[in-house]
Amino acid sequence: MELQWLIALLPFLAALLVHLLAGRLGHRVAHLSVGINVIVVGIAAFQLALYITGDTGPQWMGLANGWGSLQLDPLSAIMALVVAGISLVVHVYSIRYMFEEPGYARFFMLLDLMTGSILLMVMAGDLITLLIGWHLIGVVLYFLLTHNTEPPRAQRYAFWTFITYRLGDLPLVLATVILFQAYGVLDLPTLFDRIAESPDARTVMGLPVTGTVAFLVALAAFAKSAQFPLHTWLPYTMEGPTPVSALMHAGIVNAGGIIINRFAPVFVHSSEVLHLLFIVGLLTAVIGSLMMLSQNDIKKSLGYSTMGQMGFMVMETGAGAFALSIFHLIAHGLFKGTLFLGAGNVIGAARRHDGVPNEPLYDFLVERKSAPARVPWFIIGAVTLIVPLVILVGAHAWVAERFFQQQGAIVLLFFGWITGVQVLFTAQRLDTENPLRMMALIILSFAVIVIGYVLVGHSFEAFLYPDAAFRDALYSSAGIDKLTFDVLVVLLAVVFVLGWIGAYLSRTRQRPMDKLPAGARLMLYSLLSRELYVADVHERVTDRLLALSRRLNIWLRWR
Amino acid sequence: MSVFLLILAAFFLPLFPATMLFTRLAVSTQPLPVRLALVVFWPQIGVVLILWGELEPGPILATWAVMSALFYAFRMLTVREVGRWNAMLAVSAWPLVWLYALQTPAPVDLVAVTLALTTAPVLMLVVREVLVGRLGAAYTGLHGGLARDLPRLSGIIVVATLAAMALPLFPGFFALLTLLGSAPVGFAIGILLIWLLWSWAGARLLQGTVFGPRSGPVAADLTAPRAWGFAGLVVALTGAGLIWTGGAL
Repeated sequence: MELQWLIALLPFLAALLVHLLAGRLGHRVAHLSVGINVIVVGIAAFQLALYITGDTGPQWMGLANGWGSLQLDPLSAIMALVVAGISLVVHVYSIRYMFEEPGYARFFMLLDLMTGSILLMVMAGDLITLLIGWHLIGVVLYFLLTHNTEPPRAQRYAFWTFITYRLGDLPLVLATVILFQAYGVLDLPTLFDRIAESPDARTVMGLPVTGTVAFLVALAAFAKSAQFPLHTWLPYTMEGPTPVSALMHAGIVNAGGIIINRFAPVFVHSSEVLHLLFIVGLLTAVIGSLMMLSQNDIKKSLGYSTMGQMGFMVMETGAGAFALSIFHLIAHGLFKGTLFLGAGNVIGAARRHDGVPNEPLYDFLVERKSAPARVPWFIIGAVTLIVPLVILVGAHAWVAERFFQQQGAIVLLFFGWITGVQVLFTAQRLDTENPLRMMALIILSFAVIVIGYVLVGHSFEAFLYPDAAFRDALYSSAGIDKLTFDVLVVLLAVVFVLGWIGAYLSRTRQRPMDKLPAGARLMLYSLLSRELYVADVHERVTDRLLALSRRLNIWLRWR
Repeated sequence: MSVFLLILAAFFLPLFPATMLFTRLAVSTQPLPVRLALVVFWPQIGVVLILWGELEPGPILATWAVMSALFYAFRMLTVREVGRWNAMLAVSAWPLVWLYALQTPAPVDLVAVTLALTTAPVLMLVVREVLVGRLGAAYTGLHGGLARDLPRLSGIIVVATLAAMALPLFPGFFALLTLLGSAPVGFAIGILLIWLLWSWAGARLLQGTVFGPRSGPVAADLTAPRAWGFAGLVVALTGAGLIWTGGAL
């Protein structure tokens, strides 16, 4: 029996049963939902294990008339397990969390529908099934976010999410139409084979099919994964129940990365679109991180953090590291889901202890702790800059010698280096009794993480994209002119090092912000506090359109 | 003859300004069976005219059809009376049949696609009738927050609205895919814009009826048999849509 059907269909069956039996079982209906999800996780794990240990290769199974099919390949096998696993955790968490909320059974029904929709999208074996899953995700999310049906704020932000998702649905429809018109098939394996055979097919106005489709898929991914400027819905969708936030930030928002990976055989022929992915991802990562730091609302801050992570994920695909983006979204999903589900504990802990550190003088006199010390800045500076680089390069060279021939790999190493330096730099600024010990511990942790990440990452890449030539082609397609690339890397490295020096000096001398004129500071503050006015622009445009629609109706007497 | 038939067909697969005849009739006709018959058969007369007269709409007519559909989809955004909203949905959906006719499909397919685009207006007519029967009027924003104490009624509003947004697996979804399958990219973009506007208008309708703080008179919810009856109708229409237009592309 083809078990992959059960993975996608069982959650829909669970939703139906929950709806039908809610009156009879009452709150126990949640256990039915959880039970079916346990079975789904079991089947997904079994299928993945079978895929890894067996040598059957990708399997496709569909109905006769071209759509309504599912496939089991590395991407769908691993993502099915991740989605089902995260969904199961959210289900179990919700049993008690939602117990006193109205619409308990409806919540579990929607949760099951959402799980089924994501699994359908992940495992779709043809374009129409993919579209159905893609559309359903946005619709079900809207109803999950409006689970509490009364607060106007919840309605408002759920609507933002819904309309952004619809904006993301339509480019994928157009991409489907263009692909069908150009290649005449719907099932993905045959479609990708035909694209590989004739990647230079043309569509309207002589545009390349692959480039146009890649661009449209990228647009769809931007909307689903909150890329700038289609990100405003993400930080504001905290009005929904916490389990929904967890599921959204751990799973749903990753749909963009999954769809880009699904269409990797198209993107490999579209260098320009890969560069666009890189730029939009980078911009989103920077803006998301900036916004995260400037929020005073912790949930919005988490929302912007997810936006930054999604930006980084899209940027990775733009660098040609498709498998790494999947690895990233799984890792991010797990830690962000944990953060949301653990938010209640953090609030409880904050009520018991305010978390404000003691003054050093208090510690010295009352707690009898020795005064904080620092290592000389020159030594620390050298260690900070060089050690992460050595660890990163060493680990990658150990696993894959040829890795450094790809520009995308250098970009990722560059970002890894910046992250490592930033961690050490921050640690150096902390007041601690034994700075050398802390530094050593951080370097050790960094080395363990990098080596582990590199080992797992390379194995994961080989599993997801077993064809080495295809992996190389993705990196090559994402590459740019060598001289430009080298200049950019050196320039950015200099900018970052100067930034760190500036940050270090600002601790001892005047802060750079204080040197800015008052007008500029006010402008910067306004920009950040109004979140770059993106939501305001959206609202203004919406109001204008509605006013025009109303005026037209009045002129034509509502006929 | 053919020009006369073409003009006549433009009233039944309505193109602006001939749309106004249908919107006026749809709002002024009272008994539900007559309204249903009007909605189901009106566009089919247009289909019959196309088939009988072997009308071949040119690119200008097709462009006009897209613009007309887009115009009404845009106007739906601010219509609050559900009956009028539904009439505008219908005159926004039916002109798209002209685009399909451009591809000279088999007669049965033309009828099927037209019926698929009629499904949502039929369901919405039923919803309007139920709303008027229970609350005295069917205005969005007037009687809001129905989800709180009228869950079954809210359920059928949601289902009908999702059908109006042409979401999967409703017949409208597959009808639009059929249209898009061989439409030139320019028209395809127009159809997608119409689709987006339907979604926007549908979400506004839900916000003004199902969601938000409860307002309006106390009313009894739909009985379980009637809710099951509506569910049966939806399943039948969806099943028929899957069989007839589910092949889509």
